[in-house]
Amino acid sequence: MMHEFFSNLESGLSKAIDAGEASPRKIYARELARLGTRLYGGNGGVAWCGITAPFDLLNAMGVTSCFVEFVGAMLASTGVVGSFIEETDHMGYSSDACSYHRAVMGASRKGMVPEPAFLVGTTNPCSGGLAVIENLARRFGKRQYVLHIPQDQSGGNVRFLAEQLRDLSAFVAAHTGAPLDPDALRRAVSNTNEARALMAEAYEFAKAVPSPVATKDLANYGIVMALFLGTDAAVDIARAFRDEFAKRVADTKSGVPNEKVRLLWIQNRIQFKNGIDDILAREYGASVVIDELNDITWDAIDPDEPFEGIARRSISIPFNGSIANRVAHLKKLAREYRVHGAVNPCNWGCRQGTGARGLIEEGLKEIGVPVLNLEVDCIDSRKFTEGQFRTRIEAFMEMLAGRPSPWS
Amino acid sequence: MYFLGIDIGSLSCDAVLIDDDENVIASSVVPTGARNRESIARVSAEVLRDAGVDRGAVRATVSTGYGRDRVDDRLASVTEITCHARGIAKLVPGTRLLVDIGGQDSKAILMARDGRVVDFAMNDKCAAGTGRFLEAMARALQVDIDEMGPLAAGAEGRQTISSMCTVFAESEVVSLIADGTPVNEIVHGINRSIAARVAGMVKRIAPDHGALPAAMSGGVARNCGVVAALRGALGCEVAVPALPDTVGALGAALIARERCAAGAAAV
Repeated sequence: MMHEFFSNLESGLSKAIDAGEASPRKIYARELARLGTRLYGGNGGVAWCGITAPFDLLNAMGVTSCFVEFVGAMLASTGVVGSFIEETDHMGYSSDACSYHRAVMGASRKGMVPEPAFLVGTTNPCSGGLAVIENLARRFGKRQYVLHIPQDQSGGNVRFLAEQLRDLSAFVAAHTGAPLDPDALRRAVSNTNEARALMAEAYEFAKAVPSPVATKDLANYGIVMALFLGTDAAVDIARAFRDEFAKRVADTKSGVPNEKVRLLWIQNRIQFKNGIDDILAREYGASVVIDELNDITWDAIDPDEPFEGIARRSISIPFNGSIANRVAHLKKLAREYRVHGAVNPCNWGCRQGTGARGLIEEGLKEIGVPVLNLEVDCIDSRKFTEGQFRTRIEAFMEMLAGRPSPWS
Repeated sequence: MYFLGIDIGSLSCDAVLIDDDENVIASSVVPTGARNRESIARVSAEVLRDAGVDRGAVRATVSTGYGRDRVDDRLASVTEITCHARGIAKLVPGTRLLVDIGGQDSKAILMARDGRVVDFAMNDKCAAGTGRFLEAMARALQVDIDEMGPLAAGAEGRQTISSMCTVFAESEVVSLIADGTPVNEIVHGINRSIAARVAGMVKRIAPDHGALPAAMSGGVARNCGVVAALRGALGCEVAVPALPDTVGALGAALIARERCAAGAAAV
């Protein structure tokens, strides 16, 4: 069923793109569909991973790899997530636990998660994701490799993680039967660096006032692009967005007509249909111009020291380390993108979503950027009440309309 | 010319009619019920009838509340957060901190001196600490909700309602009654439970709220027990206007007038 879904999606998008209706978002979605087709193709060789796994390394070794949260987001976006989440009630998950993780565990119980060849857990960004990896490893009787991601780059932390990555490549080779080809890794690093540079350029264009970015344009972009790192596809997608934003800026075309309000989205988007894009654009001339996870926080990788470069990247994500680092990063984004307000969905049961909420709010307020804290389960649409959600969004927009811009 | 504000809440549908000089000409409150379009028609008809004003003399209508988009022929719909702030600024000038407890949500609103919203917080995840919560507690106590206010009088404050869940709290109250706990102690516990929840929201948006003039709006503000508990939880005086239910509708009417004055096309 899932293979057919992704195949149909891919062929539909390919037809549209070939017919001259290409857009960066379609190119990006087609690559996601291709990934789904490979994951559910029944050809083996799949690795379920944590979010900070080294996907360029895995891609260089010919492994179809994906972080487990992808399954939850995919089920939510297709509107069928409820029954999968319910399934986890039978296996000890609390109803307050993260629905990204509940959904993938429920899907595995219903046979909707392809059997992996092996698993790669990561201790960052959350223990819930690692627990899913451990549960899946036990369920499928497969081996897992856990990458212990240090909290910062001090001392020997980079070397510590780089050594684990070398060890991981041997672990993978033992499963695939093919050792890591240094040339393949060099090509992957080159692709990663090219995609990185193009993404950085696109983000620079996104900072323009008015911004070329509409709320939907870069939804989930940064986090999902990690899956394609090391591949030609990553470069193609990143170039498509860069070119589109460059053109919009040259044409002084904003993502939302008559842009009035620029927003920062904290953490992940709400994955099911919710109407927020329309409310923001149509009623308030507002657009999410920057997401917390749409930023390049790492240097280009030295092709002569690929493991060290990948290690630095894994450590650099904003959710790692102290909350003070995260708040500083959010402040930097707010300033660079000249946002008027920030939206924090505070995904239910999520350490990143709820634990840091007060400190983030306080930090952004210090620079005059108010934060709307929502209490949303970003995956489980059954907990969503549109009226309550709409009132909070609209009240926040009304409040922003009555405030001077922090950047005037 | 007149301006109409309609607040369609989950429990009640309120309307306020004002004139060009912002004088309240009439107000009305009806239960929202299951068919809110009928309630809107009824409350509009009532307020115009009481005022002796023809519909044609209403220059603009602004709607608010969760059913705000159900009002036909409106100039605009504006959230209850903005409308309550605008309304209380008229009724209790100088208010900087407003607590509005409605049927299914409660809000803490930090205001500028001119009535603009500076920040706000709302209840999340569930309706504990709202009018619905109070309704469920009244049902468990088998008392009329409108009579609950004075029932906490004389309580020593030795009873707490620990549950944050409305359904569990209702069970807790039933158990307390069965155990012979005096009604005033139970009601006092209920009031403190609501006040503690709302005070938490206040402290989130205004950690140094003690010096800010505070007020309360919404139907629950008619309950003197909850107001007293809120005063205790916040450690400050909390002003309550004469008709707290209609503050949102008044704010909507004032916004209708302002927008017309600013040149918006009247409908």
